[in-house]
Amino acid sequence: MHVSTDILTWTAVILTLGIFSFLWKDNPFYKFCEHLFVGVSLGYFISLTWYNAVYPDLFRPLFVQPLSEVSLGNKLLLIIPLLLGLCYFCRFIPRVSWLVRFPMAFVLGWGAGVTIPAVFQTSIIKQMQGTFLTPGIFARWDVFLWAIVSFVGVICSVFYFFFSREHKGALKLASETGIVFLMVGFGASFGYTVMARMSLLIGRFQFLLRDWLGMIR
Amino acid sequence: MKRTIPLAIVLIMGITMMVQFFVPHPVSVGFYDLTTKWIRIVGAFALVLGTGSFIMFHSDKVRRRRQGWYYSIVSLIALVVTAVIGLGWGIRPGSILQNVIYASVLVPLNATMFAILAFYMASAAYRAFRARTREAALLLVAAFVVMLGMVPVGAAIWGKLPELAEWVLSVPNMAAKRAIIFGVALGGIATSLKVILGIERGWLGGGKQ
Amino acid sequence: MKFFEYLLKIDRRIIYIVMGVLVIIPLVKPLGLGVSSGPRAKTLFDAVDSIPAGKTLLLSVDFDPSSMPELYPMLAALMRHAFAKDVKVLLCGLWVTGAGLADKAVTEIPPEYGKKYGDDVVYLGWKAGIDAVILGMGENIRNVFPTDYYGHPLESLAMMQSVQRLRDIPMAVAISAGTPGYTDWLNFAQSRYGLKLGAGVTAVSAADAYPYLQTGQLTGLLAGMKGGAEYEVLIQKNEYSKAYMPAVAAMDSQSLAHVVILLLVIIGNVAYFATRKRGA
Repeated sequence: MHVSTDILTWTAVILTLGIFSFLWKDNPFYKFCEHLFVGVSLGYFISLTWYNAVYPDLFRPLFVQPLSEVSLGNKLLLIIPLLLGLCYFCRFIPRVSWLVRFPMAFVLGWGAGVTIPAVFQTSIIKQMQGTFLTPGIFARWDVFLWAIVSFVGVICSVFYFFFSREHKGALKLASETGIVFLMVGFGASFGYTVMARMSLLIGRFQFLLRDWLGMIR
Repeated sequence: MKRTIPLAIVLIMGITMMVQFFVPHPVSVGFYDLTTKWIRIVGAFALVLGTGSFIMFHSDKVRRRRQGWYYSIVSLIALVVTAVIGLGWGIRPGSILQNVIYASVLVPLNATMFAILAFYMASAAYRAFRARTREAALLLVAAFVVMLGMVPVGAAIWGKLPELAEWVLSVPNMAAKRAIIFGVALGGIATSLKVILGIERGWLGGGKQ
Repeated sequence: MKFFEYLLKIDRRIIYIVMGVLVIIPLVKPLGLGVSSGPRAKTLFDAVDSIPAGKTLLLSVDFDPSSMPELYPMLAALMRHAFAKDVKVLLCGLWVTGAGLADKAVTEIPPEYGKKYGDDVVYLGWKAGIDAVILGMGENIRNVFPTDYYGHPLESLAMMQSVQRLRDIPMAVAISAGTPGYTDWLNFAQSRYGLKLGAGVTAVSAADAYPYLQTGQLTGLLAGMKGGAEYEVLIQKNEYSKAYMPAVAAMDSQSLAHVVILLLVIIGNVAYFATRKRGA
């Protein structure tokens, strides 16, 4: 065992144990760590947004780079997103707070417009193609069987979410079959979620045992 | 005007970008490049909303001396110090922001926040996960198969368990998740169309303006 | 019956302590269960393995420190695999708090293979905009990232001379902790630009990725820390790396943790039904 003497490692350890202390009960040390995390996260976000987004994409080409590098036309075009971005500040001035709708409208309209065909292609067309029974499923008996089971599962699960009609008769049978598939799907997700949460805990313990206490390599 | 112009912007941008997807003409591609660049810039400014709301909330809490107001001072100081250090001394590797604040403060806090969920999962597994119905029992059986099949101990218990887990994931789970993908995608497309056409106006906010 | 009633009322902190101890023990004293690779990890491995030398693998670092134990080992293993095959690595990210982790990988891993920054690996950094970033890269990477994360103009980096847009990249792997993540790469890069895409995801979202695997939209999947361990085993078996394998080292703990959860569920249910029967 070789305990670290690095002050930064000890800082990380103290903050880690501060968050873990919540497991015993809520306490001022945990609350301090929690509020510190929120403030530091936002400060980090601000710093990276300036250096990675605002400065290279807007400030530098508009105000720093000379006309030999960025033409006047391109500079003038950049005023539009600058004005739209500045409208966000109007949110905090009650008299002109309605101006925040302009950048929001631009972002929402653009986002909705590019998303619709992309999502249609990826999540509807391609997924429907994957559901259809193709000649390839006859390659082997088990491929054929599981393709039929998947096809039935998709159809019945979709029927479960069809609430425009009362689930009676054939619709009820399909819906109840769909529930079976959905429960297996949620069970699989739960099993994987357990794995995810445990992994995160193991990662923290690896840090404490390796970097702090030197008990593992 | 205060509502009409934003609605018109949404309509024009939405339809233009949808049509642009299918038009490879250089003018269309040029417009696409331009608006993509503008979106990245405008998107970065959206941080202002979050930061402003954060500062307003915590300042108000301190001013009115609400319960736990001293922790709000911690948050505000942390925000200011981190932002000043980052903006003033840069974000490059070796900087104070990366070496000290990111590596020794942000990483352990962020990682541990999610790590404690494992304990809550263990407690919930013991106290709340009950096989009260057939569906719940089916869910738990599927969970057990995947939980054990996806780790080395599963193969040690029964050699075929990993294969069974893979089958559960590839056949019934895949079918269920695909049905959910259909529903979510169609719902998302419907909502996007409602926003573009001005049927969904919640984003405009309330008020007389 | 009193025993079962006592079991139901047990303090949660005792469960926490039991959980903590049983997770720590295998880290200090490994059980030696071993890790074998599954079909999904193998598919991704084979796809990366088939990238010709000199071409570029794009890795999107879409996670933050909260998912580091699950996803960082995947990132490291993929980079090691690429470097061992003389494939260049281009990194970018859609999560702002993941920038430091990508920087850590770029600093630590290339020197193991004698790879140089600018010639063999470039980290573009993070940009706001998610779909705008991906769509912009599809047309011209320089429009989105005029400089890399460290401030070097892309023109000055030798590796970027042959990489102008997404179509110049044979394959990408999105290492994602959620949204934004691999679904955005699927929606915007794969559907529009035909980019071959693999995914490394946290275990929470692994089950949701199977429909995309079945259609071939995703070429391979690494699921959680186990996925990282599988990839580490594959690159060691093929002698692409001799580095320490943190995900493999954690698998014994992972196994024991799962058994503990399973037993807790079973004991809880037994106690519940036993007391309920008595109550009835």
